Amino acid sequence: MKSPLARLSPGDRALLWRHLRTPVLTFLALLGLLGVIVALGATQPFAQAWIVELAVVALMVALILLVSMEVRREPPLIRLFSGIGFFWVCIMIGMTLTDYLAR
Amino acid sequence: MSEGLAEGVGVARAHQFETVAQQRQAATLGIWAWLITELLLFSALFLVALITRIEHPEATVAAARHLKFWIGATNTVVLLCSSLTMSMAIEFSRMGWQRAMVRALLATAALGSLFLVLKAYEYYADWEEHMMPFLAHRPFALEETPAARLFVNLYYVATGLHALHLFTGIALLLGMTWMAAKAGFLARHQNWIEVYGLYWHFIDLVWILAFPILYVVNRGP
Repeated sequence: MKSPLARLSPGDRALLWRHLRTPVLTFLALLGLLGVIVALGATQPFAQAWIVELAVVALMVALILLVSMEVRREPPLIRLFSGIGFFWVCIMIGMTLTDYLAR
Repeated sequence: MSEGLAEGVGVARAHQFETVAQQRQAATLGIWAWLITELLLFSALFLVALITRIEHPEATVAAARHLKFWIGATNTVVLLCSSLTMSMAIEFSRMGWQRAMVRALLATAALGSLFLVLKAYEYYADWEEHMMPFLAHRPFALEETPAARLFVNLYYVATGLHALHLFTGIALLLGMTWMAAKAGFLARHQNWIEVYGLYWHFIDLVWILAFPILYVVNRGP
């Protein structure tokens, strides 16, 4: 039995790749970044590994927001809305840590 | 986004909107308003984890080392795969490939369910190890470090809330897939798939924050 991919015409296969290229490449990038976090978490090579881990997480979140959730392609109002959420989170974390870290 | 839609794929305009583009934007803005409230809810929980680490470093590290690191990592891979299948479903909907879209949606639901099964097994392993401090009849494994209770209880609240969101998401997804399999769906409601996709990617994003904050960062000294 032929696989569904083999049954596609060359034109359809090109169309499919054009549509799926970005999701597949994003998935591979996220998988690679997760690999870095897991490797650092499992081996704990140095005391400041948490800084690298959190930087990689920030990169993963940015990839999901901008590419998977397509914020970069949305109109300005929706981009503003999604950015405001993270702005409020920064205020909440910043003000709370100002208290705890200054004690 | 409405660019790159195949012929016969689109949205039936509701009477309160002037254009289909306005209707699409309103739906996307609406789901983002909901996602922002969710973001603030989970961020507050992650902030508490950070404060627990600052206030009780030894107890938090002792508790975090009891978490099932490899199950958490495997579950992250499962959710990344589900995000890929969700993105594929969105692309198939734009291309008008309804059958492929339905299969991608079912694969997404299956991967979400696999995550919940692994999570349930993880909770069972925690129970076996006496890592459920909220159970009065079962002694807590880290009884000698009382502050560890704070972190472990927070772990259950954060992961339990995420699992609840995922469970609800799977139920909604299956309902939508049932409707999406009907003839003419993509001509009238293509943007439902896109709007739901935002919710699914967001659940993935929350776990991508939860896994390092709860399981990874606190393993180090």
